[in-house]
Amino acid sequence: MKGDISLTRVKTLFKLDLKSRFGTTHKRGVKYRISQGLNALFFVAVYFVLILGMYFLANIFVERSKMLFEFLTLISLATIVLASAIATGNIVKNLYQNGDNEMLLRFPVSGKEILLAKSIYCFLHNLIVCVLLMLPLYVTFGAVSKAPVGDYFAYVGVIFLSSLATFAVGNILAVPAVKLINIFKNKFVVVLVLTIIIVCGIFVIYLLALSNILTYLRDSRQDIFSPEMIAKYKAFFGGAYPFRWYADLLSGRRLGSLNAGGLALRFFYIFLMTAALLAGAYFITSRAYYKTILYGVERGKTSVSRKTKDKRTSVVRALLTKEFYLILRSFNYSFEYLAMACAAPIMVFFCNRLAATMGTDTVGGAIMPGITIMVIIIFITVTVSFASTCISREGNCFYMTKVMPVSFKTQILSKFLLYSVVATLSVALTCLVTGIVYTTDVGEKALSAVDMAAIWGISEILVISLTSLSMAVDIKWPTFNVSGDGELVSANKNVAIMLIAGFFFAIVFGAVVMVTNFLPLTIGDWMVSSRGNLGNIYLLLTLVSLLLLAGSLSALFVNLDKRYNKIMW
Amino acid sequence: MLKVEHLKKIYPKSDRVAVDDISFELRPGEIFGFLGQNGAGKSTTIKCLTGILPFDSGKIEICGYDIVKEPIKAKMNMGYVPDNHSVYEKLTGREYVNFVADLYNVPTDLRRERIERFAELFKLQAAMDRQIAGYSHGMKQKICIMAALIHDPKLWVLDEPMMGLDPQSTAEIIAHMREHCANGNTVFFSSHNLDLVKKLCHRVAIVNDGHLVDLFDLAGNEANKANLEEKFFRITGTYDRRLFEDYAAQESADMRPDLPLEEESAHSDDGVSNPIDGDKPTEE
Repeated sequence: MKGDISLTRVKTLFKLDLKSRFGTTHKRGVKYRISQGLNALFFVAVYFVLILGMYFLANIFVERSKMLFEFLTLISLATIVLASAIATGNIVKNLYQNGDNEMLLRFPVSGKEILLAKSIYCFLHNLIVCVLLMLPLYVTFGAVSKAPVGDYFAYVGVIFLSSLATFAVGNILAVPAVKLINIFKNKFVVVLVLTIIIVCGIFVIYLLALSNILTYLRDSRQDIFSPEMIAKYKAFFGGAYPFRWYADLLSGRRLGSLNAGGLALRFFYIFLMTAALLAGAYFITSRAYYKTILYGVERGKTSVSRKTKDKRTSVVRALLTKEFYLILRSFNYSFEYLAMACAAPIMVFFCNRLAATMGTDTVGGAIMPGITIMVIIIFITVTVSFASTCISREGNCFYMTKVMPVSFKTQILSKFLLYSVVATLSVALTCLVTGIVYTTDVGEKALSAVDMAAIWGISEILVISLTSLSMAVDIKWPTFNVSGDGELVSANKNVAIMLIAGFFFAIVFGAVVMVTNFLPLTIGDWMVSSRGNLGNIYLLLTLVSLLLLAGSLSALFVNLDKRYNKIMW
Repeated sequence: MLKVEHLKKIYPKSDRVAVDDISFELRPGEIFGFLGQNGAGKSTTIKCLTGILPFDSGKIEICGYDIVKEPIKAKMNMGYVPDNHSVYEKLTGREYVNFVADLYNVPTDLRRERIERFAELFKLQAAMDRQIAGYSHGMKQKICIMAALIHDPKLWVLDEPMMGLDPQSTAEIIAHMREHCANGNTVFFSSHNLDLVKKLCHRVAIVNDGHLVDLFDLAGNEANKANLEEKFFRITGTYDRRLFEDYAAQESADMRPDLPLEEESAHSDDGVSNPIDGDKPTEE
């Protein structure tokens, strides 16, 4: 039986895979349908914003700079690289790390059948990703460049070819990626440091690129790119093989750079390259798959060893240490919390710099304090939202919190202490970096010492408030939906609630400071605020923050025992 | 040691009474068995008396401390082994046991001695400094038991403790239960293993459909011991004379089915052709 491939068994495995992912088609409740509807709506909204952004970018390149071919090559390069990265991640997750591998190996099915069934899923996933990623870009390009109808058919063909190539690249890269993961999976601190560097790196590159575009927008009213830049772009994208072949295929004929023969040749190049990649992917995967999953089954549980002493510590310290280790020793948790907290100062700095450039170009430097407080609160929110899974993350061990002879208040306080210390330090460092730059000549003294001190104070109060509010929300609605390794399957609705609440405060606080610094505010004869004189506004925001703090602390600690005791597990 | 009075528990958004008017009392030095079918209310009762679940009415006292009014003092006197062996798997075995010992304020010298003793008893010395995520099912169960005993509790509560354990570990746990009780402590455990309960417990309670239907002595009462299975089957409503006789017969008889007559060639000395290995028997 093993070794032969039965399409019936492959079909059964594929159907089983789909059912385990998307559940059954049984009727679900109204609540579920509403939440699914809202999710879909959110997805559409985000997608719409992305398309708008792309339309704007296409206008810059196509309409104003007449760089159609370069833009197409850029689109091909960016989408193929991104799709390849997504495909690699998806293949690693589904083919090599999925917990059902061990179970499937027990069935009378061959490794090849499991591989085929899972590969079908991965390919379809990749095809959908490619369509979602590439189609709006190409259609936007077509609309902006007024492409004929025939071009749109070419887009579909190129997307399909790209999906084959990215799927093959994903398969080839997945094996070394799994090996790297196996090497680093128990080196928690190394992983954390690498994660921080990668997060900061990606963020900085993204913002620098955006900043450059905005700078060009500012500098040139008619021609977005200077002749030198256009020459540079043309040289770069002209040699951007193999990505320019896709652009050739899409627009070579229309732009007059290729005749029918040249077009056929480009298609032949892409065909050969894709075939070679697919053959390579087949060769590598068919040889590595069984060995890799067997390694995962046999040695996947090989875990970290650490010698410690049997020594008594205080209850609070024991609870703090346990909580910290559980976060540090989980890739997902340390990324969501520790990496974000450590990267926040750098991200805030660059975000602030960009916002400051944009803002001062349009409405002047008066908006700087408002932008600073808004950006800081946004990043605080992202970090602190982790606390809104403080109970849910206990998962199957939640019973421990009920059985241990430690009051619920002490347990919650210890978690609160850990989250507050990490977030407070992150905010302090963020304000220090921002303060050093923007209260000195380096940042053209865009902020005064009073501004920075007030922003720091308000941010610190808010960070404690949002932390306690997050925890209170999770005590109210915990969801112990954990995977095999005891980690939360995905962020729950509490995270979404806290992100919305935090962003709301960021926008309100930022807007109040921005507007009042821009437009003087008077009540009768009393000048409440004027440009550079925001003392009263800061005082008002501090009072609001203190009220919020009192409210959120009450929400967390008043009747805590009763509410905690009600949590069902 | 443990006193449960008129315990009643209804799960939220459910009409069914999971535990209804259950009362019993455990004496120091006894091993108490808690029997019932799946869904009878055993685990719910255990979760109520360990403080995991709130209950609607009734009273639970552990060593004289009310679990609702003085939960910390009550829990201080209890060690609990859950049925699903859930532990913080990111910690090492030693970190986990020390974490629990810290919660119960166990002094350094005592915990050192106990960790060493239990690690040796459960053959976990080599695994103590490894992350629990890499432990087998039985090892996780053993680390749960170690953590439950690290503070030498007066009341030791175990929810189906022998599931998934190897025979040696089962024997060690039984030996430890006996030793624990010999020191004046109490063991309360739920089980589906009637044979084990019969041999180990002083008293036993049988629950069915949320009610405590019978509670009787096993120690010194040969009739109860002999009739335990029949009582259990009758109380849980699964008694059928023919099936019960089959069960009783199985308990005492050899259940191994006869092997089918094998081909002579399968027994041949060269052992080349063996149908069990999947080769086709050679035609004579």
